[in-house]
Formats: sequence, C-alpha cells, structure tokens
Amino acid sequence: MYRIRFHGRGGQGMKTASRILGTAFFGSGFEVQDAPLYGAERRGAPIFAYVRAARRPIHERGVIDRPDLVVVADDTLVPIPTAGVMAGLGERSVLLVATGEEPAVWRDRLQLQGPILTLPIAAEERAELRFVGASCAAAAARLIGVISWADLERATQQELAPLGETVVVENLRRGRAAWDAFAPHEGLVVEGAEAASQVDERPDWIELPFEAARISAPDIHVAATSTEVRTGLWRTIRPVIDYDRCHRCTWVCSTLCPDSAIAVDTEGAPRIDLDHCKGCMICVAVCPTHAIETIPEGEAKHAESEEARP
Amino acid sequence: MSRMLVTGNAAAAWGARLARADYVPAFPITPQTEIIETLGGWIEAGELDARMVTLDSEHSMLTAAGAAAATGVRVFTATSSQGLLYAMEMIYTVAGWRAPFVLANVSRALAAPITLEPDHNDVLAARDSGFLQLHAATCQEVLDLTLLAYRLSEDEGVRLPIIVNLDGFYLSFTREPVQIPEPSAVDAFLPAFDPGGLGFSASRPVSQAVAVLGGGPYSYFRYEMHEAARNALAVFDQVAADFGDRFGRHYSPVESYRCDDAEIAFVMMGSFATKAKDAVDQLRDAGQAVGLVRPRMLRPFPDQALRDALVGRRGVAVIDQNLSMGLGGVLHTELSAALCGVPNAPVLASFVGGLGGRDIGASEFFAMVDVAREAARSGMPPVPRLLYTRSELREMRKLQGIAAAERAAAGQPGDGA
Amino acid sequence: MSESHYRHMKDLPSTHLLGAGTAMCAGCGGLQAVHEVYDVLGEKTVFVNAAGCMTLLSVYPFTPFRGSWLYTSMASAPAGAQGVRDALDLLVAKGRLPANDDLQVVVLTGDGAAYGMGLSSTSGAIDRGLDFIYLCYDNEGYANTGQQSSPATPHAAHTATDSGVLGHPGFKKDLFGIWVANRPAYAATVIGTEPLDLARKIERAKDMRGPRLILALAPCPSGWGFDPGEMAEIGRLAVRSGVWPLKEYDDGRVVHTEIRRPRVPVEEYLVRQERFRHLFEPERNDAELSAIQARIDAYWECVD
Repeated sequence: MYRIRFHGRGGQGMKTASRILGTAFFGSGFEVQDAPLYGAERRGAPIFAYVRAARRPIHERGVIDRPDLVVVADDTLVPIPTAGVMAGLGERSVLLVATGEEPAVWRDRLQLQGPILTLPIAAEERAELRFVGASCAAAAARLIGVISWADLERATQQELAPLGETVVVENLRRGRAAWDAFAPHEGLVVEGAEAASQVDERPDWIELPFEAARISAPDIHVAATSTEVRTGLWRTIRPVIDYDRCHRCTWVCSTLCPDSAIAVDTEGAPRIDLDHCKGCMICVAVCPTHAIETIPEGEAKHAESEEARP
Repeated sequence: MSRMLVTGNAAAAWGARLARADYVPAFPITPQTEIIETLGGWIEAGELDARMVTLDSEHSMLTAAGAAAATGVRVFTATSSQGLLYAMEMIYTVAGWRAPFVLANVSRALAAPITLEPDHNDVLAARDSGFLQLHAATCQEVLDLTLLAYRLSEDEGVRLPIIVNLDGFYLSFTREPVQIPEPSAVDAFLPAFDPGGLGFSASRPVSQAVAVLGGGPYSYFRYEMHEAARNALAVFDQVAADFGDRFGRHYSPVESYRCDDAEIAFVMMGSFATKAKDAVDQLRDAGQAVGLVRPRMLRPFPDQALRDALVGRRGVAVIDQNLSMGLGGVLHTELSAALCGVPNAPVLASFVGGLGGRDIGASEFFAMVDVAREAARSGMPPVPRLLYTRSELREMRKLQGIAAAERAAAGQPGDGA
Repeated sequence: MSESHYRHMKDLPSTHLLGAGTAMCAGCGGLQAVHEVYDVLGEKTVFVNAAGCMTLLSVYPFTPFRGSWLYTSMASAPAGAQGVRDALDLLVAKGRLPANDDLQVVVLTGDGAAYGMGLSSTSGAIDRGLDFIYLCYDNEGYANTGQQSSPATPHAAHTATDSGVLGHPGFKKDLFGIWVANRPAYAATVIGTEPLDLARKIERAKDMRGPRLILALAPCPSGWGFDPGEMAEIGRLAVRSGVWPLKEYDDGRVVHTEIRRPRVPVEEYLVRQERFRHLFEPERNDAELSAIQARIDAYWECVD
C-alpha cells in the first residue's frame, strides 16, 4: 500500500493535491482513500491531507503514521513541531519539500535517513502559493512512478474543473513542469508494507486514576494561555513598520489588529508581536501614513539571520 | 453504473438524489454540512427535482421533516451530534407519527467538552426513539444503506423513520471508491413513495399525531411501534436480497468477517470496524483464528443474527465507541442481554475506545484479542477496559500544566489527585 | 379593499364547523375565538398545533375538526407548518394532489409557546415568508399546566408562580410588535367577544399569502379567576378599557379597528378577576392601579 501525506497551510490547496493524486491513482486502477484533516484552525494554519492507494480494498483508516512519501508545500512548516511534518518518517520514506533552497541544505539541516528532494519554488510564487497543490501532486505522482501523465492530467482537470478553465490550464502547466523535473527520480517512492504495524508492539494501557472534578473538568484556571500558541507560524507575509514614517498616531494599527498582536510601547510606538501576527495585513491597509510595508516572510527571516551573523 | 471517488457525505447525498427525495429540510452542523451543500448544488443546477429549506434549528428541521413526510412526500434530512440532541424531542415525536423518511447522522462526539471528531454517543441517544438505525462502515455502505433505508422505512410492515449513521471525518470527509447505481435501476428497486394512509387534503380530513389519555391506548400505540421495528428484521432481509440481486452488493443486518472457524471475534460498529478487519487479516496471517462481527443494524437489534454469529466463539472483544457513564459500553450491554442464558455463549471482554475520534491502533486490536483469549480460558469476563495509554496521560498532564489544573486543587485537602 | 361580507352580526355563520365535545374548560375564551376563526376559514384548513390547552382538542379517537390536524411540539409548530406547506406545494406541483385539494395551513398555539419557546421557529417561518396563518390564543399564562406566569402575563397579575403581594413582576411582551417589526403579510389582534371585528380580519387574512398573525386575547375563567358566565363581559371590558387594543397591520401600516372614547377605567376590568384581587383587598393598592391605568392611557395617546 502507498501512503502519502501532504503538508501545507490552510488555503494552499493540500486537499486539492491529495484529491488530484487520489483521483490519478484511482484512474490507474488502484483502490484509493483520501482525506483532508482539518482542525478548528483556519487559513494559514498548518493542515495536512493524505492518500492511501493499494491494489486491494483498503481497510486502514485515519491519519497515516508510517508514510512512504511526505510532501511539504511550505518549507516554513518543517521546523514547527505541531505541524507534524516529520512524524513517522522512516529510512525508506521520501521527503519532498517545496522550497527556494537547495536539497543539500535540507539534507544537512534535517539529517534524515531517507531521501530528501526539493521542488523549486520561484521567488515570486513564495508569498502566494496558489498553484503549489497541483505541482505537489504531479511531483508525488512522478516519484511514485505508477501513474501515467495522461491519468494525472485527467485527474487535475477533474478536480480543478469547478475553478474554471484558466485555473486548470495554469495548474496543468505547472504540474507538467514538476512532472518533467522529477523524471530522474521516477519510482523513488517504494510501496510500504500492507499492514502498518508490527504484531509484537504492545499498547502501554494504564488504569486511568480518578481525579476530583476541579482537576478533571475541562476548565482553564489561568488567564490568556492562548498566547502560548504561536500563530505567528501561520504567516507567509510580514508587516514591517518604518518608524521614520510612523507618526505615533492614535494607534490605528493597534486598535484594528484583530489578534491583539500590535501593542504600543511607552514611547507611543506600535510594536508588532511576530510570535502571534498571522499576517492578515489589516495594519498595512489602515495605516494613515502608509508606514507599514509587506515583506515575504522568507525574505524577512533571511534578513534576520544575516543580521544575526557576527 | 459508474464507480467514482466520493466522500461519505457525498455518498449520503447521492443516496438522497437517487431515491428522488422531494424535500430536504436542513440546518448546518460540522461534519454534516457537505451533505446539504451537495444537495443544494444539485437542486440549483436542476439535477435534482427537490425543495431544500433551511430551518432555524435541528428541532425545527426534524419537525418539518416529519410534517412533510406525514403530508405524503419523500423526505431526506441530515444532522450530527449536538444537532441530533437538539432535535431529540422531535426524534421521538416524529417516530410516533409513523411517517417514513431517512435521516443521515454524521456521528460526532458530544459536549462537554465540545469537540469535532466522532464517536457514537450521539446516535445512541436516539436508540430508544422508534427510529431504526443502520450503521455504515464504508462510503459505499452510506449510499447503499440510504437506498435500503427508504425501502425499509416505507414498507407497510414497518413505517418508521430510519437513521443511517456514518462516522464524522473517517467517512464524512474521506473519499473512497463508490459504485453509483444507474438512476433507472434505483427507480426499479425503489418505486415512488406511496404515502398509503398518510397525507393532508381537503377531500380527506385527517387528524394526525393526536393526544391519548390513559396507559392502555398509549401502550397500544407504543407496542405497535415496537412490533413494526421487530418486523423490520425480516423486511430488511427481503429488501437486502432484492438489492443484492439488482446491484450485486449483499447486506445482512450483521456482517461476519472471517468468522467461520474463529475462536475469538471482535464486535464493533461503524468505520473503525474496517481497522479491525486489517487486524483480523494480520492475526490470521500469524495463524490465529480471529474474526469480526459487525452489526450494520442496531435498531431493531439483530439479536438472533448476533447469536448465530457468536455462539461457538470462545471469546469476544466488544469494542464500544461510546460510553454510558456509570455503566460502560452500550453495545456490550446489549450483546450481554442477547447472549444471556444461551448455551455455549462466548465470554465477553468489554473495551471502550475511539471516543472523540481517538484512534484505535493495530497493536491495541492485537492486545484485545489476548485479553479475550485469556477470558475465554479462565471463563471470567475481565473488568471493562477504557483504552488509554501511558503516553496519552503524559500528554494530558502537559495540557493540564498549561491549564493550571493543579492551581484549582491547591490547598484543597482530600482531593483524589 | 373589497367590502366585507360581514357587516352585521346576522352575517356571521349560525352553524359552526368546530365540533362540540372537546375537553376545553366551560367558558373558554380561546375556544370561542378558535371556533369563530374556523367558521370564516372553512374546513379546507390544516391546523398545526403547538403544545398547550388546545392540544387536548384532539384526543384519540375524538377530534372536533372537519378539516385536518397535526400535533407537533411546544417549540416547533411553525416548522411543522413549513413541512406541511412545502409538501402540499410539492404534491400539487408534481401532479400528485389536485389543486382544489390544497389546504390553508394554520398554526394553533397558546401564548406560552408563542411568546417564548416558539419564537425561534416562528421567526424562522417569517424570515422564509412561509405562507401560513399563525393563530395564538393568548390566555396570559401557562394555563394548561395551571396558570404559571408566561411572557404574556400582565404586570401585577397573580399566577401559580407569582403569588406574592406584588403579583407578576414582568410586563406583557408585545408579540404583535415583534411580528410587525418583521414586516409580515398581515397581523391583527382579535378577541372572540368582538366577533364582527374578528370575522372581518380573518376574511382579509384568509386570501393573503405569506406569514399572517392572528393574536386573540383569550379570557380564561380557570386561570384568571372568574365565573365562566362572565367571560363575554370580561372580554368586552378588555376592549372597552383599552387593555386589549384591536388593530391590524397591513401594507406597512398599523390601524386600530376599534377606538373607544371614553374608555372604561381599567379597574372595572381588573376588579372582576381573582388574579388582580390583591390590588383591591385587603386594601386598595392605589399606586399600582394608577400605574396600570397610566400605561394604558400612554398607549392610547400614541394612537392618535
């Protein structure tokens, strides 16, 4: 059975990617199961979708814990533990990262046993990864190597048809480019075992102790714990304040930021809390002096690391 | 017939479409929403000649569903979880109207704490309502059981509404290959709704769902509902046989998987049962005689079919994706009653798991077989087990640390922590 | 507006559609209104009932209706009306029911459901422009369970749940106003003791389409505490004192169909009911009586 996970952010088309691959597998005569996993979180938040494909009916269900292939549409997700990108990667698992960086950088960084490949993302595409879903699906299909371009093309058309002809054409163009780019690695992904688990594993069941209701009721006994959730990780673009142009006005940006992520310091200057800014850019839109700029998150991070060098 | 990849939600919508439902009262709730959106899209596109109305609540939705069925049209509706509970007064009420229709319930665990992922406490709350219940394990079954449900519900020998249950996420948002039958073939299997004695019209006055005073008449009406529900066992067999002849897919009230010579059997409902099939296959590969018994039908309770499937097994692992607080698993309780006093009945081991979408891993299935085998050897049913691991509790402790649960307990003598 | 068929009392039907033999109390003001409404609507009517006193109109195997009836629940009768209306429309449109077999759909509800628990489903039905008549018999309390306070109970009235010296602390909710704010096809207040006014309003409502409210004050001998034989007089006093304004909303305007000058002092209405006796005994509560009168006067000042 093939087991593939697609990781991205809400809005980047990971459900679409899983559906294109699922439909292409199905068109190639496989039994298929595909599903997105949404939580309560929203656009920009890490999400994933998965595909199972086999030559016989699939009984396995739920999240894939031993993937044969993991596709990451947004490289900023890799270091986020809660995104779960690295979960279950074994020595034969292939990791494919859509990134502007070289494969060697990632191999060096992650030190995985299995192969790491990269899907190059052009600079202008990085802020808005609108078409990355089809490219990810095409690259995955080529790496798996049991799906023809004709089946993939049909699947892409079928899944994207509701979005209109222009979207279909553009996605097919990019999908084809990814398909061609991974020709040298065709068949790199190897089908995993039929069963996901080994018989000799034992569950570490315990007897759950009784605990008084004041502990065991779903109550939070301390204020504002939500700040421990780093929603700044949702951000793909970053607002940057030019303090020369900022007039220290009546703090329009701070008032209108929905996430309470802009505070005003003792000098009267607004300070953006990048741990929690989701990158909605309302502050950019409302700043009376146009003092806030939009910078792609990747560039901003790169600049930060340059600055950090001695 | 075409075979295509559709979600469980889309399969439910296909069931309503192929049944040519006239009327779809609706109210959105995760994870059911895709069902009504799909139907709404088809109605908008002229592909389904039906009327959809969004009500102000599930309570109203069920009222409109029952009222329209009582007026003589074919009705489909869908809900989930809190919605089913909000409608619960009308679930009981419309069942007593003896007006047939089909309700898809996308199982989702109940508050509190409020959550999104599935277990079966929602649908089991409707257990004693008079609605019949069919539980799907695959997207194909969602579609097929919806069509079967209309035939069963509308049968003169039954005339009770039916819930077709599918698990949220694991079926609702999961695409699987589904054979979509030809509409003409479905028309031949499921003719247009004959309202029989139902309906309101100027030329035929009728007072429906009137009050009764006194336990005698009340008991009569309620016992008749019970008789109708019991009839549904035989009617289901006829209807399923006809369905099998026409479509080649054969459904029994109880599915038995690799059970013929099984010493140990799993018993569970819904989509997680396919995970048990995987475990059975692996255990069989390892030389163990293990099988799966899955009730597709929960109401009426297929007690004889379950006895037929289970008598002769040595041990049974009953896995309940529900919890009746202070008692345990509902299916375990019902199965115990069905096997009580039966010679050569297997020993039952009770497990509660899969609450709120919590996965049941392959290693847990294997361990449950070991527990059931030991119970069979000793003849002693084990203490029911709530599936929970040390690592889960460790994770829970981290969350409780953030929630400062210990702060609530601080300085409080005598707490059990 | 066409001339009414009902110009004089002798124009009202002298034979009645609603069968006798129901379980309603002797002297029931609600039943009086319902039978008058039914006479004008005719038997091509299906009543969709919310839990209340009138639920006991149809007790197996006895029904007073020559047309049809469906009991639903306390909260959701308008949703039941939606299902019946939609199904009838579908059956007619798909040729499964002759058009002349179609029915007028009427919700029959008490104030307990109408002013409280039933508001959500009623609001939804108005939002959707449901073609139905909503007939509320308002006996100003949960009368079927022994006259506990409801959101329709008037200020200072004694009820089973407000039996202290001050009576009910709340004020009667303006259901007519709630409906009018939602711009229905029609809304009217009526009372069975003014049958000509009632008949004319039902006659108008009958041929309209959309949500239509008929709000009938229902003097209740058991719940309000008066002799059944006095029901007609209590009803007339409710109108003559100005406690129960007779009005209708049509085409964006509210018009009062009965303006009494001078009005009878409200005391004459209150003093005849057990539920207000504490305003007179053991000693007169002049402050409360003046306040009640003042609120009525203030209402009518705005009418001109």
